[in-house]
Amino acid sequence: MKLTKVLALVLSVVLGLGLFAGCGSVNYAETNTEYVIGVSGPLTGGAAMYGVAVANSAQMAVDEINAAGGLNGVMFKLIATDDMHDATKISTNYSSMYEGGMQVSLGTVTTAPGLEFKNLSADDNVFFLTPSASGDDIPTNPNGYQMCFADGNQGKVAAEYVSANFSGQTIGVFYKSDDAYSKGIYDQFKSNLDASVTVVETTFTDANTTDFSTQIDTLKSCGFIFMPIYYTPASLFMMQAKDIIAADAVYYGCDGFDGIDNIEGFDITAIPQEVTMLSHFNSKATDGKAKEFIDKYVAAFGAETLNQFGASAYDCVYAIYGAMKNAIDSGKQIPVTISASDLCDILTAEFNGGYALEGAVTGDGSPISWESTGYVNKGAIKYVIKEAN
Amino acid sequence: MELILSTLINGLSLGGIYAMIALGYTMVYGIAKMLNFAHGDIIMVGGYVIYVFMAFHNPLLAILMAVVFCVLLGITIEKVAYKPLRGASPLAVLITAIGVSYLLQSLAQIIFGSANKMVTVYDFGSVKFLGVPVQVSALVTLAVTVVVMVALTLFVKCTRLGRAMIAVSEDKGAAQLMGINVDGIITITFAIGSALAALAGLFYLLKAPSISSTLGAMPGIKAFTAAVIGGIGSIPGAMLGGILLGVVESISYKITAIAPYTDAIEFSILIIILLVRPTGFLGKKRREKV
Amino acid sequence: MMNKLKSVRWNHYINYIVIGIFTLVFGIIALTGGRLNSSLLFLLEKIAISVILAVSLSLVVGFLGELSLGHAGFMCVGAYLGGKVASLLPSSLGGGIVGLLLGLLVGGGIAALCGVVIGIPALRLRGDYLAIVTLAFGEIVKSIFQNTSDETFGGALGLETPRFDKNYLFIFAFLLVLLTLAAIQNFIRSKHGRAVTAIRDNEIAARACGINVTKYKLLAFTISAFFAGIAGVLYSFSNYTVQSAKFGYNYSIEILVMVVLGGMGSINGSILAATLITFLNTKLATILTGDLAVLQNLLYAVILIVIVIYNNAPKLKSFRDRHNLGVLWNKLVRTRHNPANIKDDQAKWDVVPTKIEMNEVLSIDLVPQDKLEKRNNSGKGGDH
Repeated sequence: MKLTKVLALVLSVVLGLGLFAGCGSVNYAETNTEYVIGVSGPLTGGAAMYGVAVANSAQMAVDEINAAGGLNGVMFKLIATDDMHDATKISTNYSSMYEGGMQVSLGTVTTAPGLEFKNLSADDNVFFLTPSASGDDIPTNPNGYQMCFADGNQGKVAAEYVSANFSGQTIGVFYKSDDAYSKGIYDQFKSNLDASVTVVETTFTDANTTDFSTQIDTLKSCGFIFMPIYYTPASLFMMQAKDIIAADAVYYGCDGFDGIDNIEGFDITAIPQEVTMLSHFNSKATDGKAKEFIDKYVAAFGAETLNQFGASAYDCVYAIYGAMKNAIDSGKQIPVTISASDLCDILTAEFNGGYALEGAVTGDGSPISWESTGYVNKGAIKYVIKEAN
Repeated sequence: MELILSTLINGLSLGGIYAMIALGYTMVYGIAKMLNFAHGDIIMVGGYVIYVFMAFHNPLLAILMAVVFCVLLGITIEKVAYKPLRGASPLAVLITAIGVSYLLQSLAQIIFGSANKMVTVYDFGSVKFLGVPVQVSALVTLAVTVVVMVALTLFVKCTRLGRAMIAVSEDKGAAQLMGINVDGIITITFAIGSALAALAGLFYLLKAPSISSTLGAMPGIKAFTAAVIGGIGSIPGAMLGGILLGVVESISYKITAIAPYTDAIEFSILIIILLVRPTGFLGKKRREKV
Repeated sequence: MMNKLKSVRWNHYINYIVIGIFTLVFGIIALTGGRLNSSLLFLLEKIAISVILAVSLSLVVGFLGELSLGHAGFMCVGAYLGGKVASLLPSSLGGGIVGLLLGLLVGGGIAALCGVVIGIPALRLRGDYLAIVTLAFGEIVKSIFQNTSDETFGGALGLETPRFDKNYLFIFAFLLVLLTLAAIQNFIRSKHGRAVTAIRDNEIAARACGINVTKYKLLAFTISAFFAGIAGVLYSFSNYTVQSAKFGYNYSIEILVMVVLGGMGSINGSILAATLITFLNTKLATILTGDLAVLQNLLYAVILIVIVIYNNAPKLKSFRDRHNLGVLWNKLVRTRHNPANIKDDQAKWDVVPTKIEMNEVLSIDLVPQDKLEKRNNSGKGGDH
């Protein structure tokens, strides 16, 4: 028995040595025939709607660019990996993409895994422009940029809105205290809020919680409820609260609300209250670039996963493409086998040098530009998902 | 006053569900002497069966199918996974139970995907009670749980089968010598426990119309806490423990400073109870025999 | 006689030698400037962490015979405290060897303290209740770190920790694996280890024989927690952030799967299973995406059930005795299994009956195994 195990151990080591005895190289993109863009997001699990939207939309943008002849004849390729919104999957995902020739990245779709991703990519100097990882700490390294508003910014904008409209009144807050996204927004909200506004706050922790009766009970007399949480718990909260919270109350969410009107089995019209969110994308747009994007997306993938995360990812791909095109036009060389690090230097120079994305799907129509800190400059819209009945 | 009342009502309705699960736990633990880790996941299976059969828009059919399916599942699990281990070390049985729990969760995820499924079984609406809005489903939960508890107590005390169960829980060997079919009794216990779990699944759906593959994991562990607080093996104890735990959880969520630590508080109560009074409030003290 | 002695030694130290050579080969490649793939480096770090976790859990589950579902909790304590200590140092020291050693000391030490705290209920409770208490402990620890303020342990955002140079961390990680092995293997092979296995096989009989049950239970829990803490510190040094969500009871169960798959009470088995499962986890993650990823969990569940039933079902005992790897090995190599060669860490539950009647306790060593079983079976009157 023992000898067998010893034998197995020796064998496995020999096998292991044979399998991995590969040495790393400085440039994994040496054999690339296309520019490779990598992204890691939750393609499964509770936040899957976001990851799928990002992967679909980014692929759509890549296909469009390729159909139009690529960048001076060189095509793009997208690699999407599944991290299930779990930070521990990032080291594997990142290294498999990096060693698979990734030259530029969309980072991660959600914040918690992004905190790991930003440092791994900084080590190798890989440029990333995340469509939706909104944590304030995400773009702190020189190689990281955001297409979405940072959490602090969302919290601040929400606080300004509330301070202006609910001065001297009581509002409710429902957040998830152990979630980086939710807590990040709420902390900024609280510190920017006018002192005259009284806040009734309630929270939950376990991601599997489905019963919010206690929380609803706490907030039942509030006419305005700020909910910096994701759509799944928010929809459950609304369903259970529809008879208890006043019918003319307002639910005010951030980008986590996006997609709440597309959940299977959740009929948002049955909710009497108004559902509003702070957004940078109008998914009911009737004209302009947003409309074009919506039509194309719905035709290709259906309306279930249409949300601002996807729109943002679509813009990200075009922003990277545009910046690379700018660089080439100004005389820089970007060969298809360029190393991620060299491309990163070129792209950061562009993004810090005042590059702006024109005709974007997200934002209020004005060009999108970036600060050298990595935060985005664009217009926000207050988007009413559903009016009060 | 209104705050106290509404907290209490919330606690009672949550406690009713915990009590329902704890009843199943306490029956199985009392008689088969094993911690059925997969009990919580049978709740989840019950919920999914209801979800599937709600396609016919007939709540009663869906509930019936859920109970039948869960009973069959409970019996199957007992026969396939636990019965071969009767007489083996308790550690082996416990690990198998964890395996079964994992198996059910991953099967559910493979079949139904990882995203939450929404299903509204029946909308009871809400009524005003002393100025506090109360979900009618919460009252239904509480009422059904009390009825089930009384029925179970009567069943165990007054029927031959029930007394056979007590005999098996006291001493398997002696019960066998008295002509009791020990295997049969254990199977029946699992069937009853699973039926109760199916009902708990229904109550979850009435409370929050959403279901995922991990629905039962936490409630399962919490209900075990409830069963321990009340005294393992005691049917009124399970009820008491469940209600207590529900009220504690509801109060803890109400106090902003400790709300994020609610789970930690409940688990701390479990540890303290086990250390100070392992037999719970209503449990019988049993000397460990060699 | 000399030959026998030699072969015993060889068997005792084979795992050190194999892991040592492994470390040396990769270490030389890394130190001589050969750049290893970062995916390989990450994998090696993860394997080392899993091996330490599995071996340390094996001490409690396989040798003490108590189920701990809170192993990830001890790891969590180690990861947060070790990482915090290192992040308090100036960054030149914190991410270097000084930070690592200090982190190991603090993280491991405080995890060991938690081990003592959890060991105390273990004195009063057995089996199911203890399992639940350890599970509760793990969840409490997770919940506490999750809700700390941003300044202390980072709260929901996770604690940012200095990352050790990825090109060299795995060397230290494997040196720690060797240290863990040395500590736990020597503990098990000492008289203390025999006392621990005696408690597993029958606590009351062990106490009757004069074994200090309190001391040994506490000792086993403390050692196990210490090394789980060490694994946690390693984890914090191999990642940029420590997020408490990882340390839930699912992770504890994953470690348990490693121990069970490797064969309870077999250190080498745990090492092998930890390596295999970690390797599969990383490789399967890139192959099985989407809802297929859960197939992995399904596989673990089936492995857990099948292995435990196969190894423990009383009715399968005769089948097991006829068909096992040992018998196969004997057939292949045609060597006889000499009872004198059975090493103490090979003791199995089925070698010593777990339930012993009181009147047999004193004579257990005198009654041959088969007779004892006959008596047990007739005595209990067809209990099963």
